[in-house]
Amino acid sequence: MNLSQRHLGLILIAPGLMLVAALFLYPLGFSLVSAFSKDGSFTLEWFSKAFELYSTDIVFTVVIVVASCALTALAAIIIAGTLTLGENRYIVGTLRALYRWPLFIPFIVAAQCMRTFLAKNGLMNNTFVSMGLIEPLQAVSFLDWRGIIATFVWKQTPFVALLLAGALASIDRATLEAGRNLGASRVRVLFELALPQVMPTLMVALVLSFVTMLSVLSVPMMVSGSQPTMLTVDMAFRINAYGDYATANALGVITYLISAGAAILYLKRGLSEGAAR
Amino acid sequence: MRILTIACSLAALMAASPLAAQTLNVASAGDQNMVDYVKDYLGPMFEKANPGVKVVSVGTGAGDSGSQKIYEKLDAQKGSATTDFDVVVIHQKATGQMVKEGLLDKYTANVATAKLATGEAARNALGTDVSGFVIPMFQSQTALAYNADMVKAPPSTFAELADWAKKNPKQFGYNGIKGGMSGVSFVAGWVYAFGGDAEKLMKGPYDAATKTTWDKAFADLKEFNKVATITPGNAGTLDMLNRGEIAMGPVWVDMFYSWQADGKLPPNMKLKLISPGMPGQPMYYAVPAKAGQKKLAEAFIALATSPQVQADGIVKKFNWYPGIDAANLEGKLDKAAWDKLFVDVTPADLAKNGKAFPIAPYFNDILEGYEKKVSN
Repeated sequence: MNLSQRHLGLILIAPGLMLVAALFLYPLGFSLVSAFSKDGSFTLEWFSKAFELYSTDIVFTVVIVVASCALTALAAIIIAGTLTLGENRYIVGTLRALYRWPLFIPFIVAAQCMRTFLAKNGLMNNTFVSMGLIEPLQAVSFLDWRGIIATFVWKQTPFVALLLAGALASIDRATLEAGRNLGASRVRVLFELALPQVMPTLMVALVLSFVTMLSVLSVPMMVSGSQPTMLTVDMAFRINAYGDYATANALGVITYLISAGAAILYLKRGLSEGAAR
Repeated sequence: MRILTIACSLAALMAASPLAAQTLNVASAGDQNMVDYVKDYLGPMFEKANPGVKVVSVGTGAGDSGSQKIYEKLDAQKGSATTDFDVVVIHQKATGQMVKEGLLDKYTANVATAKLATGEAARNALGTDVSGFVIPMFQSQTALAYNADMVKAPPSTFAELADWAKKNPKQFGYNGIKGGMSGVSFVAGWVYAFGGDAEKLMKGPYDAATKTTWDKAFADLKEFNKVATITPGNAGTLDMLNRGEIAMGPVWVDMFYSWQADGKLPPNMKLKLISPGMPGQPMYYAVPAKAGQKKLAEAFIALATSPQVQADGIVKKFNWYPGIDAANLEGKLDKAAWDKLFVDVTPADLAKNGKAFPIAPYFNDILEGYEKKVSN
């Protein structure tokens, strides 16, 4: 490659770089500065305020997102495993046709559906009551943290399952069949032979889901009441009710740190695997 | 070739349209009913009276946050020649701030109907003098809605309500302070009832030390929240009342009547304005200082605050209390439509227990105190 070609390459990626710089790096830097400064000098005041007002919500957010990720992983493994190793072709065919649907439904629509589905006298409980499974008085509302987790898992499972099923389909089937021939059950083949080979894909999908769920505003706002709630709602409230960008940005930085935590876990794993090879 | 023709005609259309029609941009803070009022009722009426004018109605979201968004837009466009909005419909808290920062036009001298609104609300927005800058669109009030089949003897004070909620756990629901103003109003009412001098909170002067006297009230409210249900939003409270999941909760009186008229609430629901009172508020019509269509905006507001529109639209159709003085509606409204507003909450109740929100700095102290001591 000669010099002019290298320049040409730089020129070609310049618009993209400019876009990233203007629309992402500049606002990011701006919010970082705003989170750490008051009247031009360095301060941690906004962080202490964020912890004073929202420490419960920070813990709540982490718990919700981690729990949602764990349940999403479980559901996605079951779906992708059935698609890859299932032997009943009707079940596999139906599942294949159905499982991607939530991918095409926006979070806000999913949240609205859950609002009527999971309510105390909502569709789900009414169905249970009419089937005689529960008494009307036993019905409880799931429109709290459980509702948020249910919505997140419902919405993110197809995404993780899609990536996972793709990865599972591309591994060498001979190893799986060897396992089956030697008498291993399908569940054992899935967990001991197939999954370890696609672990990096699963991790990538989960880290992406983790970050997505951290950033959703509509679901916690619509599904559950406001106490406790997720950090996105608090950020919106800080800005909308008080015009207080500094504390909102401090909450934003805390969110960055939480998602950075997930990214570091993932990178560490990738590095140690790379070193082992 | 065909694509080129379409593109050319589209371009021509876009270039020509500003000449052919004037557009009046109306931005409303508040729930969807506020946007619908302009979009479905007032806008078409104004367009009919002024051929060639198109009214575009946008909503900026419920509660004070909706007004905050309008404030930010006007603030950001301070340096430009014109703002995007010609008429804004805003809450009291943001109005005070906008007037102080010179973002609004002092327009009411140009609008004849301004003389019809002489109440306190037309002059004072949570402690800021706003006379000349606003005309109230309507007054509204929060009250407790309850299911008369489930609650035979509704509480009549905040103290009785606290007892009632303890005996009937999870049957009282409100939407906290992050999901709309009915919850905020309930919290303000709680502080009025248990936090000491309510008059001072509404009238001022502001004293930063006052908030330390609310600790007990907030601690009690935290206990109260354990036996209450937190609902998602103003509409969320009404939804849960409708489904029978809660038996009582604070609601906006106008939303309550509108939902009931639409059959979205059972007919056995009733309202009660408990003492020492809950806040209500007006919404204001205002014109941004740099509005592009000031003349048109003033004509629009003149129509919106005319006695006939206040009678038909505000009172009859949307169940709000009129923004202009009630005496001006005489003869424009049949008695049944007027009385409908006062079935459960009588004018005497309103006079006694219909309060204003606290002045802006106390207001912020209450919200932040709630976040610090109740919800965290």
